[in-house]
Amino acid sequence: MKSWLRQHRYALEITLRRLAAQPYSSLANLAVIALALALPLLGSAILVSVQPLARQVSVTPELTVFLKTDAPSGAAAAVAARIRDEYAGEVDPVRVVERDRALAELRRNPAWEEALAVLPGNPLPDAVVATLAPGPDLAARADRLARDWRQWGEVDQVQLDSAWVQRLEALLRFARIGLGLLAASVAVVVLAAVFNTVRMQALSQREEIAVARLVGATESFVRRPFLYLGALTCAVASLAAIALAALALGPLNRALTDLAHSYGAEFLLHLPGAGVLVLSVVAVAALGALSARWSVTRNTRF
Amino acid sequence: MIEFQHVFKSYGRGRNILADISFRIEPGEFVLVSGPSGAGKSTLLKLIGGLEPPTRGSILVNGQRLDKLPARARPYLRRAVGVILQDTHLLYDRSAFANVLLPLAVLGLEPGAAAARARAAMEKVGLSGKEDLNPVELSGGEQQRLAIARAIVNRPAILIADEPTANLDRDTAQRIMSVFRDFNRVGVTLLIASHDEALMAGHAARTLRVEPGRFGDWEGVQPGRSLPPQAGAGAAAPAPTAQPRGRAEPTLGGAPARPASPERPR
Repeated sequence: MKSWLRQHRYALEITLRRLAAQPYSSLANLAVIALALALPLLGSAILVSVQPLARQVSVTPELTVFLKTDAPSGAAAAVAARIRDEYAGEVDPVRVVERDRALAELRRNPAWEEALAVLPGNPLPDAVVATLAPGPDLAARADRLARDWRQWGEVDQVQLDSAWVQRLEALLRFARIGLGLLAASVAVVVLAAVFNTVRMQALSQREEIAVARLVGATESFVRRPFLYLGALTCAVASLAAIALAALALGPLNRALTDLAHSYGAEFLLHLPGAGVLVLSVVAVAALGALSARWSVTRNTRF
Repeated sequence: MIEFQHVFKSYGRGRNILADISFRIEPGEFVLVSGPSGAGKSTLLKLIGGLEPPTRGSILVNGQRLDKLPARARPYLRRAVGVILQDTHLLYDRSAFANVLLPLAVLGLEPGAAAARARAAMEKVGLSGKEDLNPVELSGGEQQRLAIARAIVNRPAILIADEPTANLDRDTAQRIMSVFRDFNRVGVTLLIASHDEALMAGHAARTLRVEPGRFGDWEGVQPGRSLPPQAGAGAAAPAPTAQPRGRAEPTLGGAPARPASPERPR
């Protein structure tokens, strides 16, 4: 066991010596891998920051029926009752939002308070909010109900409240797939970069490999420094990529804060959690070792 | 023990470099492999060291049939066979001492013990005080001795050397032969390929002559002809098979040379 550990220590020393022997080449290699890894990291920062926003808002489709402003009092309750009667299986529940309550809620938002204060009366109509009952093809059902209800005399317009959330969800789904593809592309870049680095190293260490075999080195002994090279390069590049992404988030967040404040909101981009980052570093290091093994096995057959 | 049984060696579809070679070398022998350039002396040594596979026939080294030996076990056999090639194959990106340490790093030896053994090996070949020099700073003879130190540092049971004194002046060559002689005295089996038979006189107990053979092909040493009469020490020696000498403790300290038994692969 001790002998095995000593061989690993020797392999690590050899790896560090080889890296130090070509500092510029090693640094350039690290920079390329780090920059490539920083891209999906920034993408995931955007995803993990936006996802909670989408989750906070209900994705259950709701239809809001706005009545005409001149509709008689009690018209909203009548419309709600009619929906409950005629569309019992399709909606659940149905609630009335009276115009006065809606105005009071709106006034609680400081951004609207001043604008509403200058208005002579309440510009808001009565509304009925109908939540669609769960079932297949919600979007088609919502469209059909909205079409039906728009025909009713007291109804001014019908709005599908959750449409934008669904759009956001679709966008996030798209972004997740895009990020997955980007991560796969970066993985290929990392594989290729490590493969080539190890190939060059193996060719330049040809004499050392031949001598090591001559004095009885096993193939594991020959391969080990190259595996360390791949794993170490990728691990350090991953840490550099995290640092780069964190640095890039600084100015991005400053700009984003200004934009969010103009909408009276708070929004900040942040990197995935520490656990995910540690796992990523380990995964990328394993990928580097795998690529190195592939390369060294192919390029030391002499 | 080294035994060749009807061994052929050819490269590609070319003619045989070695054809139908059979001989046996007992543990502790000092054997000179002689013959003209291109006769296949180096190939013979490479076959013993497991550096080349035979085209046909079987080779036994310390009871291990090389052609039956799995690839994973070969490195463990190589640790028991010290090889000194014509080109020293020294590593010029590190010190002389680091070159000698390499076989011990392969074994995973404790650093203190490894350093002590490497120093002892360098002292044995007369390179004390030159540990920190780069091999390129050493003379041709010193480089050859450094290659010997690297080959002996892990105490092989068999030492094979291909023209170890080529291009060296007489005094240096004699010093190197003395080093080999000392190793043979402690029980290391020695095979040296050289065409300088005069130099070998008084050192090698017998000679294997590799020369162009019958039927227009290259002939190896045939059974019963493993000690062809010739000038020098080989002529004075009796025997098709020399008596193995008793194996004394080597002067490098520690255990005697190990047999070539494959260990569990790491």
